[in-house]
Amino acid sequence: MPQPLSSKDASLFRQVVRHYENKQHKKGIKTAEQILRKNPNHGDTLAMKALITSNLGQQEEAFAMAKEALKNDMKSHICWHVYGLLYRAEKNYEEAIKAYRFALRIEPESQPIQRDLALLQMQMRDYQGYIQSRTTMLQARPAFRQNWTALAIAHHLAGDLEEAEKVLTTYEETLKSTPPVSDMEHSEAVLYKNSIMAEAGKLEKALEHLETVGHRITDVLAVMEMKADYLLRLDRKAEAEVAYTALLDRNPENSMYYDALIRAKGIPDNDHKALKAVYDSWVEKNPRGDAPRRIPLDFLEGEDFKQAADAYLQRMLKKGVPSLFANIKSLYTNTWKRDTVQELVEGYVSVPQTNGSTEGEANGDNKDFLSSSHYFLAQHYNYHLSRNLTKAMEHVDKAIELSPKAVEYQMTKARIWKHYGNLEKAAEEMEKARQLDEKDRYINSKAAKYQLRNNDNDKALENMSKFTRNEAVGGAMGDLHEMQCVWYLTEDGEAYLRQKKLGLALKRFHGIYNIFDTWQEDQFDFHSFSLRKGMVRAYVDMVRWEDRLRQHPFFTRAALSAIRAYLLLHDQPDLAHGPLPNGADGDADSAERKKALKKAKKEQERLEKIEADKRAARKAASTKGGDGEVKKEDPDPLGNKLVQTQDPLKEASKFLTPLLEFSPKSIEAQNLGFEVYLRRGKYALALKCLSAAHAIDASNPTLHIQLLRFRKALDGLSEPLPPQVAEVVNAEFQAI
Amino acid sequence: MVDIVPLSSYPSYIDLLPSIQTCNITNLPENYFLKYYLYHALTWPQLSFVAVVRPKNGYSKHTAPGGAATASEQYPKVVGYVLAKMEEEPTDGVAHGHITSLSVMRTHRRLGIAERLMRMSQRAMAESHRAQYVSLHVRMSNTAALRLYRDTLGFKVETVESKYYADGEDAYAMRMDLTDMWMDWAEIERKDRLRAEKEGKDADEGEEVGELGTEKEKEKMVKVRVGRGLGVGDLVEKNESQTQA
Ligand SMILES: CC(C)(COP(=O)(O)OP(=O)(O)OC[C@H]1O[C@@H](n2cnc3c(N)ncnc32)[C@H](O)[C@@H]1OP(=O)(O)O)[C@@H](O)C(=O)NCCC(=O)NCCS
Repeated sequence: MPQPLSSKDASLFRQVVRHYENKQHKKGIKTAEQILRKNPNHGDTLAMKALITSNLGQQEEAFAMAKEALKNDMKSHICWHVYGLLYRAEKNYEEAIKAYRFALRIEPESQPIQRDLALLQMQMRDYQGYIQSRTTMLQARPAFRQNWTALAIAHHLAGDLEEAEKVLTTYEETLKSTPPVSDMEHSEAVLYKNSIMAEAGKLEKALEHLETVGHRITDVLAVMEMKADYLLRLDRKAEAEVAYTALLDRNPENSMYYDALIRAKGIPDNDHKALKAVYDSWVEKNPRGDAPRRIPLDFLEGEDFKQAADAYLQRMLKKGVPSLFANIKSLYTNTWKRDTVQELVEGYVSVPQTNGSTEGEANGDNKDFLSSSHYFLAQHYNYHLSRNLTKAMEHVDKAIELSPKAVEYQMTKARIWKHYGNLEKAAEEMEKARQLDEKDRYINSKAAKYQLRNNDNDKALENMSKFTRNEAVGGAMGDLHEMQCVWYLTEDGEAYLRQKKLGLALKRFHGIYNIFDTWQEDQFDFHSFSLRKGMVRAYVDMVRWEDRLRQHPFFTRAALSAIRAYLLLHDQPDLAHGPLPNGADGDADSAERKKALKKAKKEQERLEKIEADKRAARKAASTKGGDGEVKKEDPDPLGNKLVQTQDPLKEASKFLTPLLEFSPKSIEAQNLGFEVYLRRGKYALALKCLSAAHAIDASNPTLHIQLLRFRKALDGLSEPLPPQVAEVVNAEFQAI
Repeated sequence: MVDIVPLSSYPSYIDLLPSIQTCNITNLPENYFLKYYLYHALTWPQLSFVAVVRPKNGYSKHTAPGGAATASEQYPKVVGYVLAKMEEEPTDGVAHGHITSLSVMRTHRRLGIAERLMRMSQRAMAESHRAQYVSLHVRMSNTAALRLYRDTLGFKVETVESKYYADGEDAYAMRMDLTDMWMDWAEIERKDRLRAEKEGKDADEGEEVGELGTEKEKEKMVKVRVGRGLGVGDLVEKNESQTQA
């Protein structure tokens, strides 16, 4: 029961709510305090004050207030709702859901509470709960299309495709007349229904449906793609051919369309003549395109290949397309083709130089053709399947001599040095390339990357800072975090890891971990936004993508490196104080070790001081600007707190658990999982990693060493394993 | 081999978002949070496209976590993208598209990728959203982009916006008419009506449905109002004032 207020205070209370909705937080608090002066125990007012306080960023105070409010008025749905909202702000979704449920029990008709509950159920993938919530919401407002679509989505994601389709159809049947073509919400809902039919395997029905409604759907490309896909899967070849031809007319740069077209035409793989004719017809229709010229090189053989390759290479070299090699190298798994390409381009550069001009070709063009060809050969001889670094260097030098300003040529020179193993020289040459085009961020990024490979973190950041917003909190590095520049954080962390600067290395890997958390969090607003926009197919795809977010190679790579850092820290705890000279970690009490430790600690203090000064300088600079929102500086920019953990292996599981869940097919993940579990004495889990690795690649060399180490570890146990564990371990171990 | 595919329509390549963000921050100084990319992908799923290197053994469809695909088949290399939208509150009151960002990795330039990305996006703007024209900004010093827009695609310079970029450089504001790619919606609706008349003497037009219809109108009005000032909307404004492309 809400506690009664005098009519004047009741109207003040309504003002508080209005102030909150309009984000007039200060006024809201003031008005709330006015009520509380007369009614110090008024739960709802206290709750509203808590909510506003939370929006001002004072979570702890807000929670204390909200608890007080609840104590005063356990039967108020407002108090419970606010309690839930505070938990939501803290991202404690389980508790938030519980609080919303209490609120709803008191006030079952409340739309806002029901909606907040539904959003969280979606975020938590509580599909059964979500179905319930959406059913209630639909019953309350059945005229609202969103409510039908939302219920359909709930069933769809819960795996009940029939029910999802039925809900959509039921709504459609209430429509008096077909909405106008401009009604995109309708258009999308219709396509959504169609995609559900197809997902349920009802291709015939989906195709039929598409044929009756497709002409009025404005996402024309999607309709064409879906139709073509269904037709081919239904083996309706003639129609599929028409459909893929239409798709290629729109976009001749998609190899999957050609594949499908050829299947539809029923051309056998070995009928190269017929295949080539198909591609040639597309070259004719679309002379500027690349795909129909390039793809035939994949299947042509012998003299046909040679002729086609010659034409392709010459055309691109004459145009001076710098990406030619990138587009060719996949042919090299076929050694004959590789050698043929080499022979052809070697031929282009060995033609004696004609002075004066041959037909139509001015001297300049000839020079460009020649430098492009040398550049091609430089990349060719630098590639692992055709490597000859001496020749590569010769060709790149010739190319540079002919065109000293070409960024790409200079880049390739740096890559050749990298393959020589000279990372310092590589970084130097890449820096030269950067200086040839200081306005291009791509080459700037490359130069920074090469500096990181050379463990030169400071120079790399200096380069990056030419393009970052350096006024961001935390300077250039702050901007790279804020803009979620995962590639740089990964390379930076790995460079620190190689230098055994584990604090900074961990700092970067945790930075990436947090970025993935943010990405997961990002979906929240779309649970309501997308329903309003009506673009539900993209929304459902997004939800499913979020569920596999940490499968992304960016996460896998950062997690592997983080685990390596923690293992190193576990094995050499002294590294918590910074890198130590080799051998210093040998004898625990040696004078040398002590000396090294002392030195490392001193260095650590020195770095902290520099960092503190930088922060102070930035602070001084930013108060001058004084633009409202203050963002907090990172209290541990060097990762010293992270590296001083008491239990590195436990920290490692933060990365290991999602890694093994989402990338179980990564042999490196299994290898490192074994290392962590073995050190933690978790033998069954260690063995699980060994079996998984065995299933991926039984001949993996690391696996073999690990098997031996595992055997030894078991033999050396002071206490035998508990019988059940032993049984499992033995059985599994035999199997491998 | 580079393929041009849709970002978030059908088939969906939404898993590539982090790689698209990487492509952007590798190539351009104007960068955005992932949420801003999501916002584009989920508001105008027809308009954005990605250029990916075809994996050796083809692409794999996404399956359950830990499915059979290797990472490279599931996450092909992204070498270019166009991120596009419809202008939400056009100052001239005319529906038009806008290119938020376009870039191609240096290793894959001059293959026609940017041109194809742009053409796909422009066509979708015209067909799906009846955009009258598409607009964009480009640095005055960016000759490659200028050549692409003006000479290859046919954009016209509209104005010069002085100090448009954070570093003080001026921008050309360019645009291109798209009305020649519009579909004839009136004709589609006319045919629909004819067909409905032919088929539908028995169409059910009961009282209840009529009621639902009117209520729907009411709700629609509310919907528009509620639609403002939400989390995503906040993000957009904040983000646009902070970084411009
Ligand atoms: C601008 C950019 C997107 C072009 O990408 P691209 O895929 O190489 O362009 P395309 O191959 O499709 O080029 C199409 C046409 O544009 C013109 N063009 C492209 N790059 C050019 C260059 N470097 N110099 C002169 N003209 C160029 C040419 O006319 C070309 O046609 P052609 O090859 O038949 O002569 C790319 O250079 C890039 O990503 N740059 C950095 C980021 C950027 O500036 N983005 C644009 C911001 S507004």
